[in-house]
Amino acid sequence: MTFLAIENVGKRFGHTTALDGVSLGIERGSFVALLGPSGCGKSTLLRIIAGLETPTFGRITVDGEDITRLPPERRRLAMMFQSYALLPHMTALENVRFPLRMQGREGAAEQRRRAMETLALVGLDHLAERLPREMSGGQQQRVALARAIIAEPRVLLLDEPLSNLDARLREDMQIELQALHRRLGLTTLFVTHDQEEALSLADRVVLLNQGRIDRDATADALYDDPGTAFAADFLGAANLVPVTVEATEDGHTAILEDGQRLQLASAPGPGPRQLVLRQEDITLADPSEPGLEATIEARIFLGTRVRYLVRLGDLRLRVLAPRHLQYPPGTPVRLQIDPANCRWSREGP
Amino acid sequence: MPGAKGGQGLVEPIVLVTPGIALLFGAFLFPVGQILVLSVVPSGEELGAWSNFARFFADDYYLRVAWRTFRLSLLITAATALIGFPLAYAMARAPRWLAFLLLLLTVLPLMTSVVVRTFGWMMVLGRGGPVTDLLMLFGLSARSAVLLQTETGIVVAMVQVLLPFMVLTTLGVIAGIHPHLEEAARTMGAGFYRTLRHVVLPLSLPGLVSGSLLVFAISMSSFITPNLIGGVRLPVMASAIYQQAIHTLDWGFAAAQSTLLLIAVLGLLVPYLALMRRARV
Repeated sequence: MTFLAIENVGKRFGHTTALDGVSLGIERGSFVALLGPSGCGKSTLLRIIAGLETPTFGRITVDGEDITRLPPERRRLAMMFQSYALLPHMTALENVRFPLRMQGREGAAEQRRRAMETLALVGLDHLAERLPREMSGGQQQRVALARAIIAEPRVLLLDEPLSNLDARLREDMQIELQALHRRLGLTTLFVTHDQEEALSLADRVVLLNQGRIDRDATADALYDDPGTAFAADFLGAANLVPVTVEATEDGHTAILEDGQRLQLASAPGPGPRQLVLRQEDITLADPSEPGLEATIEARIFLGTRVRYLVRLGDLRLRVLAPRHLQYPPGTPVRLQIDPANCRWSREGP
Repeated sequence: MPGAKGGQGLVEPIVLVTPGIALLFGAFLFPVGQILVLSVVPSGEELGAWSNFARFFADDYYLRVAWRTFRLSLLITAATALIGFPLAYAMARAPRWLAFLLLLLTVLPLMTSVVVRTFGWMMVLGRGGPVTDLLMLFGLSARSAVLLQTETGIVVAMVQVLLPFMVLTTLGVIAGIHPHLEEAARTMGAGFYRTLRHVVLPLSLPGLVSGSLLVFAISMSSFITPNLIGGVRLPVMASAIYQQAIHTLDWGFAAAQSTLLLIAVLGLLVPYLALMRRARV
C-alpha cells in the first residue's frame, strides 16, 4: 500500500529544470533514501513534499489525501533541516515543545511533559533548559530530531541528517535513527549525497540524476548491480565495463573495447552489453599470471583493505584488495575475474 | 626589542581615533558641557543655583510642552515601528530587484532636505490639500478638516521623516535571520502570521529596539518639522528652547531645558546599552 505518493512531480526555476517528472510510491513505515549528487533535484523534491516549494506540475498525496496545494503548516509532516534550524531564542525544551504549542491541543503543562519525554527519548532531558548555542552540534541535532518526531508526523523528512557530524557522531546518529525508526515506525524519507549513508540507513534507495530517477532499488540490489553507468560511477562499489559478446564453441566470450577477451560462463546473447564487476570480485595478480592486462594508477589505503584504481584500456576500474598486496602506481598487473561473478547490467551500452 | 612592537601596536589605533575623538570633544562634549554649566549658573543675583530648573517645574506651560514632546515622541516611535517592521521584513525576504527598489524608496527621502519635505507635508495637510479633500469626500469630516497645526499632523509628518531610520536598523537584523528558521516553523504547524509573531519578531527585537531608541531620541529633540507643522500653538521642547535662546535671550533657562531633554534621552539610552552588553555576554 502506497502511503506517500509522488506522481509525475516536476519543478522548473526559470529555464533550469530541477525535477523532470518524478514518480515515486512510498510504503507506510519504510525508510527511503533520496540519493544523488548536488543539483540532482533531491533537495527540491524534499522541499516540495514539505510544502516549502510549489511544484510546476504533478501531484503529491499522503494516505490518499492530495496535499499538493496545502501550505506546509497543514500537511502534518515534519522536516529536520541540515542546519537543524533550532529557534535560537528558545531553550531545547521550548524548541521541542513548539510543534505542540502550534497545534494547541493540550495545555502548557502537558505539552512540557511530552516535550521532556521526547527529549529523554534522544537522551537529552538533562539539557532541557539549554539554549541551542550552549549545545554541541550533535546535541543540537538530537534536539532537532526530537522536535521533528514529537507531533507524530505522517512522514518524517530529513535533509542530509548526518553530513554535519564527525565520523564517530555519525555512527551514533546512524544507530539512533535506525533504532528510532524501528521503535516509532515513522515513514521516513531522507536526502543525502553520500552513498554510504544511503546504503547503510535506508531499506530502499532512490538514485536521482538530473531531475530524474535513475535507479530505485533496495540497498543490497543497488550494491550488487548498479544497473546504469551513472549509478555505477556514483556508488563506486561496482565497475561497469562495456563489452561485445560473441558466441564461441565453448560458450561466450566478451571482447573489451581494447580487444582483450574474457571467457564467460553465461551471456544474454551476442551483441554489445555492459558487464558489472564489483570491486571486491576482481583479483589482482602479477603480470606472469593469466588475466586481463592492466596498470595500477593509484593505491588508496582504507584500513583493513586497499582500494586500487586500475587502468584497463580507456577504463578506470576500482578494485578492493587485501591489505598485504603492495602494488605501487605504474605497476603492470593482471586482473582475474571469476566468470561466476560477472553480472549483466539491465541497461544497454 | 619586545617593547617596540607593543608601542607600534598602540600608536596606530591612536592615530586612527584622534580625528573622531577631537571632533567629539570640540563639537559635542565641550558645547554640551557649556550648556550644563550655564543651566546651573544663577541667572540673577537674588536667585539660587537651581533656579532655572525650579522655574521649569513650577510653570504649567513648560510642563505641558515637555509632556507633549514626550507623548508625541512615543506615538511617533510606536507608529514607525508598526510601519517599519513589516516593511523591513518584506525588504529582507523580497527578490533582489524588489528589495533594491524598496530600499531606494525608503532611503530617497533622506536625500532631500527636511525643510523641503516638511513644506510638502504642509501643502498636503493644509487647507485645500488632498488629505482634507479625501476626508470630506468620505464624509469623515463635515467641514474642511485641516491637519496642519494639529498633533496628528506632526505625528504623520515625523513618521515619514524618521521611517528610514527604523527600517534600516531593523532590516540589518532581519536579514541576519536564516530563512530556514521560518521554514522550520511553518513545517511545525505555524502559519505565516504565527511564524512572524513567534520567530521573526522575537529575533528582530534588537533591531526594533535600537531603531526605536534612535527614532525616539530624534523625535524628542526635533525642531523643524514639529515647528512648521504644529506652529506656535503646539510648541515642543526644541521650539521652546529656541524661543528662550533666540527671542527671550534667557540662555540660562534655555540651557536648563536642554539639560532636561538630554537627561530624558540618556535615561533611555543607558539602560538599553547596558542590556545589550549583558545580552551579548
